[in-house]
Amino acid sequence: MCIVYLIAFLFSLTSEQCSSKLIEDSSQSFMERMHTGKTSFIYFGNHVNPTIKLFMEQLEMSADALQDYGISVVKVNCSEDAIANYCTGEKLMTKAYLFRGSEVLRSFDIDTVFDVNAIVSHVLFSVLFNEVRYVHTPAELLRVESAAKQNSDIVVGHIPVLGLPEHRALMEAAFVYGTKYQFVQTTGTLVLKHMGVVDPSSSQAWLWFLHCKGVSRRSDPCPSIPMRKPLNTINIHTFLQLMEAPLVTEAVLDPSDVDVVHMHLGVPVLYLFSQLQTQQLDWATAQTLALQLRGEVGVVVIHRDGPNVKTSLKYNAAYRLPQEDVKYFTLNSAEGVVKLFKEELLQEHKFEDEEEDEEHWSDLDILDDEVSESVYRDRDLMLDLESVIELTSDTFQITVTQNDITVVLFYFKWDAVCMAFIQSYIEVADALEGMNGVKLAAVNCGEWTDICSDHNVTSFPTVLIYRPMAAAQLYKGMLGTKSLHRFILLSLVSNPYLLSSSAEVMSFLEGDLYSKHMYLTPVRVLGLFSSTHDMGVTSFEEAARLLRGETILGLFAHKEAEQWVEGLSVNLPALLVSRSPGVPYEVYSLPSSSPTDLVSLIKQVELDRFPELTVENLPWYLELGKPLLLLFIGKEDSTESMKALAEIKQLLSSGQLDSFLPCWIHLGRTPVGRSILEKYLGFVPPLPVLVMSRLKTGEEVFLFPPERPLMAKNILQWIHDVENGQEQPAGLIPDGKWGPPVPFFDFLAIMDQEAPTYAAQRAPKMKTGGREDHREQKHGTPNQRQTPHPSPNPQAPRQHSEL
Amino acid sequence: MSVILLCVLSLVLAGSGTGLHGRNASVSHEYCVLGAGPAGLQMGYFLSRSQRDYIILERNAGPGSFFQIYPRHRKLISINKIYTGRRNKEFNLRHDWNSLLSDRPNLLFKRISQELYPNADDFPRYLSTFVKELGLKVKYGADIGRIKASDFNGNQGYILTDQNGVSYQCSVLLVSTGLWVPQQVDFLGSDLVEGYESIPTDPEEFKDQAVLILGKGNSAFETAQSILGRASRIHLYSPSPVRLAWQTHYVGDLRAVNNELLDTYQLKSLDGLVEGRLEDIAIVRREKDGGKRRTVTGQNLPGFHTDNFSLRQPYDRVVRCLGFRFNFSIFDGSARPPQSSGARGRLPGITAWYEGRGMPNMFVLGTAAHSRDYRMSAGGFVHGFRYTVRAVHKILEQRYHNIAWPATKLPISQLQSWILRRVNEASGLYQMFGVLGDIILLRGSYCEYLEEFPLQAVPQLSALSGQPLTDHGLLVLVMQYGLNRTDTLGPGRAESEWTKAWRSNFLHPVLYYYNTLPTDKDMRQRPVGWPLPRPESVHHMVEDFLTEWDQPISHSQPLRRFLEHCLQTDLRAFYAESCFLLSLTSRTPPLFCRQGYLRKQGIVGNSHLWQHAREAGLMADHHGHITPGHDTSVSEYLKHADAAVVSTMNFDL
Repeated sequence: MCIVYLIAFLFSLTSEQCSSKLIEDSSQSFMERMHTGKTSFIYFGNHVNPTIKLFMEQLEMSADALQDYGISVVKVNCSEDAIANYCTGEKLMTKAYLFRGSEVLRSFDIDTVFDVNAIVSHVLFSVLFNEVRYVHTPAELLRVESAAKQNSDIVVGHIPVLGLPEHRALMEAAFVYGTKYQFVQTTGTLVLKHMGVVDPSSSQAWLWFLHCKGVSRRSDPCPSIPMRKPLNTINIHTFLQLMEAPLVTEAVLDPSDVDVVHMHLGVPVLYLFSQLQTQQLDWATAQTLALQLRGEVGVVVIHRDGPNVKTSLKYNAAYRLPQEDVKYFTLNSAEGVVKLFKEELLQEHKFEDEEEDEEHWSDLDILDDEVSESVYRDRDLMLDLESVIELTSDTFQITVTQNDITVVLFYFKWDAVCMAFIQSYIEVADALEGMNGVKLAAVNCGEWTDICSDHNVTSFPTVLIYRPMAAAQLYKGMLGTKSLHRFILLSLVSNPYLLSSSAEVMSFLEGDLYSKHMYLTPVRVLGLFSSTHDMGVTSFEEAARLLRGETILGLFAHKEAEQWVEGLSVNLPALLVSRSPGVPYEVYSLPSSSPTDLVSLIKQVELDRFPELTVENLPWYLELGKPLLLLFIGKEDSTESMKALAEIKQLLSSGQLDSFLPCWIHLGRTPVGRSILEKYLGFVPPLPVLVMSRLKTGEEVFLFPPERPLMAKNILQWIHDVENGQEQPAGLIPDGKWGPPVPFFDFLAIMDQEAPTYAAQRAPKMKTGGREDHREQKHGTPNQRQTPHPSPNPQAPRQHSEL
Repeated sequence: MSVILLCVLSLVLAGSGTGLHGRNASVSHEYCVLGAGPAGLQMGYFLSRSQRDYIILERNAGPGSFFQIYPRHRKLISINKIYTGRRNKEFNLRHDWNSLLSDRPNLLFKRISQELYPNADDFPRYLSTFVKELGLKVKYGADIGRIKASDFNGNQGYILTDQNGVSYQCSVLLVSTGLWVPQQVDFLGSDLVEGYESIPTDPEEFKDQAVLILGKGNSAFETAQSILGRASRIHLYSPSPVRLAWQTHYVGDLRAVNNELLDTYQLKSLDGLVEGRLEDIAIVRREKDGGKRRTVTGQNLPGFHTDNFSLRQPYDRVVRCLGFRFNFSIFDGSARPPQSSGARGRLPGITAWYEGRGMPNMFVLGTAAHSRDYRMSAGGFVHGFRYTVRAVHKILEQRYHNIAWPATKLPISQLQSWILRRVNEASGLYQMFGVLGDIILLRGSYCEYLEEFPLQAVPQLSALSGQPLTDHGLLVLVMQYGLNRTDTLGPGRAESEWTKAWRSNFLHPVLYYYNTLPTDKDMRQRPVGWPLPRPESVHHMVEDFLTEWDQPISHSQPLRRFLEHCLQTDLRAFYAESCFLLSLTSRTPPLFCRQGYLRKQGIVGNSHLWQHAREAGLMADHHGHITPGHDTSVSEYLKHADAAVVSTMNFDL
């Protein structure tokens, strides 16, 4: 088709003589034009205002450009020749039309075809409507690809905004190369992502070449090569030439004598020397390298055995940059060469990148820390600290001894984490306001630094619990409203509770005692000793004090204690755990050990064996380091979910899951669970879902087949299959390093650029310090009265600043 | 080893010294502090706090006797700013230039004087209070005339002899004698010159006199200022032009408190400044009653040859105000520290850790130690050397008692907030800018934070501090003035863009990151004007008008990103929910989650804050799901479908 146009273009060239290619039609010539069947872009106007004047200038320029494609650009003055249908109506003046013969291919608002680039790109796009495929989604692109496989190669252009120079360049290329390649145009970001662009939001134009013609099997994907230069006609032309050039060229000449198309296109060439013995291997290396460098570097394999090859044996490779001589080097690894080219020799690309970075730095003023940003958004919000006492050096000591419990928060105003927590802290204070004996206070360490250092606070925020006559207790729980609130309320309970009779023990374990704390924690832990003289009692009491606020502990040191372990395989002293009223107790023997060891023992026995994982409790369970058998259940407590829970419980009690941590997440209470599933599997299957995740030992995530019923025996079978490697992982847990989230803003590099010697170490033989300079200063000539001028040169020391 | 030796030694010496107080009496102390001025007392306080065997020897009857005489016109020019609007004690020391450091919150100079520029008599009074309330051991009336080095069991010690012949055997000598000897210059007629130390302070004595003052420092201008209303003509003559403290940021340069003469000079009210070498002048007395002509004739005078020579008119008085020098004369050859290479040799030469060069176990404190930062920082002034004295004391503790430099162990996730704390309140870094710096020894998941270490001694960090080094690198936090290339009061004098922070002119924090400890050679070859060698990477925190470096965008985030680069880890904070997600979906969650959430100290937040974070696109949103599973992709799809619709609209109308 474009050949037709080109011929038309030749004709028009001979017929057109005047300097401006913009034709003005009378009604007569317009009618004739309608019969020629030629393509013309016509504007109808009747008067000229400034906007139209600008448009006419652009129209005139486009006449030049479009002439090359055999398209006439015409204006009709309606005030002289009123042409029916076009010279009337409201659309007059604001529209331009593309005609093929008398048929209107398309009409354009002149706002759309605002300049020469827009006119050319839109006109060509309309003319090439059948040749250039317009795709929105990766799926559409894949359809085009599969149609083109083994047939023709594809050029994909991503144009963020239509009508800009990039669009024109792509259309012009499509016009020229349209018969050779399948052109595809896309605008959305979906395809960008599909093509692997890291930042699809940037409004950059892209071009890819898909080598579909050469794919050996129709199931293979077409290898795609991105064009790494700005989208303009010359670059596209060069790029397409490069894509056509053979992947690897063979030669038996010295590098400087080899002539390849790359040299003419201003592209570096890499020469690899091949020897007879290693020919196969060398060829494979060359292929790999060429694939990686395709479009940027040409690759030539030179056979050393050729008589014209004189290169010294100590080199096995060479490269030649455009307009430069051949440089020889020794190739150690293919990666090394790719790195050499990408990071050093193709520097001009780097330059462009830097310009982009320049823009990128302005993004650096956006907070990328979720805590900082959310606190920053509240910066106009005055915190209502009414329920919290602000302590000063003068009030601190009095306050912390006045109440049964004084909770003190140590914080910095400028620390986002502190300020995020202080909101929770105020919520707790509001909830506890009016409660006797409890007071919440805060110390601003930016102001009262002495209090904070005196209390050895080195971490912020810190919460300390003060009781009269006792050392301050560090709050070690989650820094959130719920956890702190529960901790404070539980702290009010005396720990351990001394029980004096079996009746009291019963009441303690069944939750009648402290019933109002049942909603805080249903767990009760009881230390059983045969007598108060038992060595372990003091240790237990100390442990209980350390656990104050976290666990409700009872102590029964009595001769009747024996009967609580009767018939159990445990002797006194022992630990009895009641998870909630009505549930059978668990019993553990209590070794004599230090209070801190006891604390960890108690914390361990307290853990649920089949916990519901929540944001607040996960760390306790992850610590166990076991692979997780994780059941996700939906918001609504469906019978299916209940059944699945019961099945796992059954397995658990039969001891078959000991090497795992069976647990579950309720997506209603813990909505973030959905994101976890998405990360594990890439989608959220119908719930409930059972997943095995080996966080510590492996990266694989296995999904219990959704089609199988969640029954104990199926689960066991599945676990078995997974362990035997018979199950395919459904997802991977990346072991990503959490490196710096943004590129480094390098002050040193900026200094080196803007003030080259400012940050440079002195040359070794120079005298140290600027004392020398002093001397010189001192010997100024008499009568000179100038004041020192600020030195314009940063490397010249200021008189005072040297040492 | 050496500790034990020293203890034994002091026992033996103490035994021999008891009971005898007449001639040839001998007393021994582990530490002898020479001089009960501010530096000596400051050291006395630290020695007393660490319960060391020390004595402060003072030749006069009270502490701070220099201030009984000087400044001659009795106005201290050290700022005593008692209201700062802040209650932070550390911060307030930044604006209290007269107090000494102690753990007594009320032992501050403001108790004695409320004046911004207090009367000089208040300072000895303050020092007396300091001695009394802290019970420092000062021996008054002991005028040490001779100091000689001596070998104490293989370690160099010092024997001091006073005017009564009592000798003091000192394992460690701490010289805080200040500067007492007026600086003089030899030229023809220098005997005709009066000294600052002895001029009359009554302005009436200068009535209608033409006065030539040699020198252009604070004492010269102070003198000029006092006689401005009486003298007929005051000329100030010295080699270098006036340096204004507010331009150079060096408090030893001319302070605006004293600079009225600049006004009368520039408004042509008969006063003036002249530059010239002091060695080049000659002063001759002109006999009033036509006495016998001496060697000077008209032809010898410059005015004879250059008819507009500036100093052609005679003066009634010539006053020398050239400052003071260290008294080397009391040191025996064996114990005399060399003269400093800087400061015109007026000061003893000392190492980066304030030990006399070639004089082991002798440390120089106070103004006499100013050669380390002469014309650069505040080490010659009370508000500066009180911190260097503290640093030297820490070095003594490590060297003689094996007590390592105090270090705070911090988890890395707390480092940023700790640095911000120091930057916003630390007074030592602020006063001793470019000289003392905080050292952060990186140790993987935690770090050791050492405060106010002498920067020039960084190559000897391990030996001096007793803190072992690891291969994780270190950070150094310094406060610095900037390039100072712009007009101090002109436009563009302040930088507010954090990306251009390295061009900050005012005092601002700078962080240096080194993989390995800089060597002595690196230090010698450091870039001109820098306090430290070129680091691996550097971070300037942009200067702040209020000196509050606490803003999230300009200060905290750039600092965090610098630390992230040095530590090669993500230091962002995450809410517990994000940590929950990250802990279950990556094998190593970010540091903040590891050191907080996974240690059960997660920061939970509330729905209000989460909402903000979600709106900012920083926190995953899973609450908005309506139909499970498809939401994100649907909304994504809609977003792009929109774009496509927009672009096709251009075609059909």
